[in-house]
Amino acid sequence: MARALARHWGALVVFGAAALVPIVVRDAYFLDSLVLILLWGALSAAWNVAGGYAGQVSIGHASFFGIGAYSAALLGARWQQSPWLGMLVGIALSLAAGAAIGYLSNRLKGPYFALSTIAFSQVLLIVASRWRAFTSGSEGIPVPFRPGFVTLGLGHVAWVYLALAVAVLYWGIQVWLEHSRFGYRLAGVREDEDAAQALGIPARRLKVIAVTASAALTSVCGTLWAQYVGFVDPFYVFSVDLSVRFALNTIIGGMGTALGPFLGSILITSLETYLRATLSGVKSGFTGIYLIVYGVVLILVVRFVPDGLAGVAGRLRARRARAHA
Amino acid sequence: MALLSLERVTKRFGGLTAVREVSVEVRAGDLLGIIGPNGAGKTTLFNVIAGYYRADEGRVVFDGHDITGRPAHAIAGLGLTRTFQIVKPFGNLSVLDNVMIGALTRLASTREARAEAERVIAVCGLGPHAVARARALPLGLRKRLEVARALATRPRLLLLDEVMAGLNPTELGGMIDLVRRLHADGLTLVVIEHIMAAMMRLAQRIVMLHHGEKIAEGTPREIASDRRVIDAYLGEEFVLAEA
Repeated sequence: MARALARHWGALVVFGAAALVPIVVRDAYFLDSLVLILLWGALSAAWNVAGGYAGQVSIGHASFFGIGAYSAALLGARWQQSPWLGMLVGIALSLAAGAAIGYLSNRLKGPYFALSTIAFSQVLLIVASRWRAFTSGSEGIPVPFRPGFVTLGLGHVAWVYLALAVAVLYWGIQVWLEHSRFGYRLAGVREDEDAAQALGIPARRLKVIAVTASAALTSVCGTLWAQYVGFVDPFYVFSVDLSVRFALNTIIGGMGTALGPFLGSILITSLETYLRATLSGVKSGFTGIYLIVYGVVLILVVRFVPDGLAGVAGRLRARRARAHA
Repeated sequence: MALLSLERVTKRFGGLTAVREVSVEVRAGDLLGIIGPNGAGKTTLFNVIAGYYRADEGRVVFDGHDITGRPAHAIAGLGLTRTFQIVKPFGNLSVLDNVMIGALTRLASTREARAEAERVIAVCGLGPHAVARARALPLGLRKRLEVARALATRPRLLLLDEVMAGLNPTELGGMIDLVRRLHADGLTLVVIEHIMAAMMRLAQRIVMLHHGEKIAEGTPREIASDRRVIDAYLGEEFVLAEA
């Protein structure tokens, strides 16, 4: 128990703080930022399962996010179904799409795989924005707000705890990946596929499983996000920007680490929220400046802490250990 | 009965025949050496046996199973594994984790796999480096890691692809001892090596490949005096030095 605490103190601080904030703070704007930090963190963690742990870097995860968002929004708006049902439909569709993309990763390596995932999300964008009769096309779909847990019409505080629950669950999945037989063997596949196969590891099957699971986890958060924000716009939910955000949070926070995606999300989401609030109101052409800040942060991280924010803690510990030795 | 038998195995790359109708038998408990000049098809033969290439003709039978064309991971699962000439460590992982992943082939529990990995690491003399990142190791130790990881899968037949190349004399001596010990413990081995002095001391039988064909097979002494082997590979100086 004490050892588990010592190993996971970072997660305890992050998730503990998130759990305490709604008790103290009632400011809707602040709570809104917190929900987004947790959701983007969970989404980045979902991406990390494929990108960080399996080494399959996708820049098309918006596909699964959009599938989750659209599944719930369409079922809710057209057939008055619960978003929880929509979430299940989204999971089913994303499992199928994820398996197809995962299979692709056996044919295409590295950048070619990443490009094919972008192409996939662009195809979905075209379908969603052109198929007017079904998806309302580029106008997007408003998600009806019906109060209650079954309809996911929740207040800010409830949303914080729902997002927190998902975040902790996803964090737990990653921790499991670090300690389980499956996770060790997946790390072998990521590091060297040929060597993994020589050890009896079915490398292709493991990659497909990881990418498929990552897709389903992403879809769940897509559904939640759509219900939280209340509107699904095809040009946003299937955008490359969004896919890049999942990857960026994780790279900045630390690929293949359980807490990294959340640290990245804390830094990037709060930075973005702050800059948008302070600069975009000035009406002086600063609207896009947060993109520049994004870029600068990314360059600084890659230059000075290539392992990501989660790697910094590990390095400090190693230095202390050396100093004692 | 042979543990591994190759029956007239042929592998072509386009117009080039890398391995031509090679037949070899390996009995349980053998230590078979494979020699030959660069490009003779030695590593290609390993790739065919271990399932990395599919043979164009012929059959590979391991322990009664026809493994021709089966995927590499399935063959490793049967207890036939290999090392790579250009070592392929899991670079970002520790030595212990590398070997643990090998041990997890037979073991379901990570706790047992860690204990097994620690044992194998000790056998291979990697104890002091267990927590080091694999990519930070010097070549001699990476070659040892390659062997340790394969051993952790508890193979019945191990293919070693030039695990002695590039080692300094001390490391070489250590590796020869390790291979000897594994063989003495009952492991069946097929070894590709260029270092003839090592091969003469280790192998019970030697197969010589040249341009993809088996041109000689016999005890080290028979091989060293075989005219075709001397002409194609060893040269007169070797024969004089050995005599």
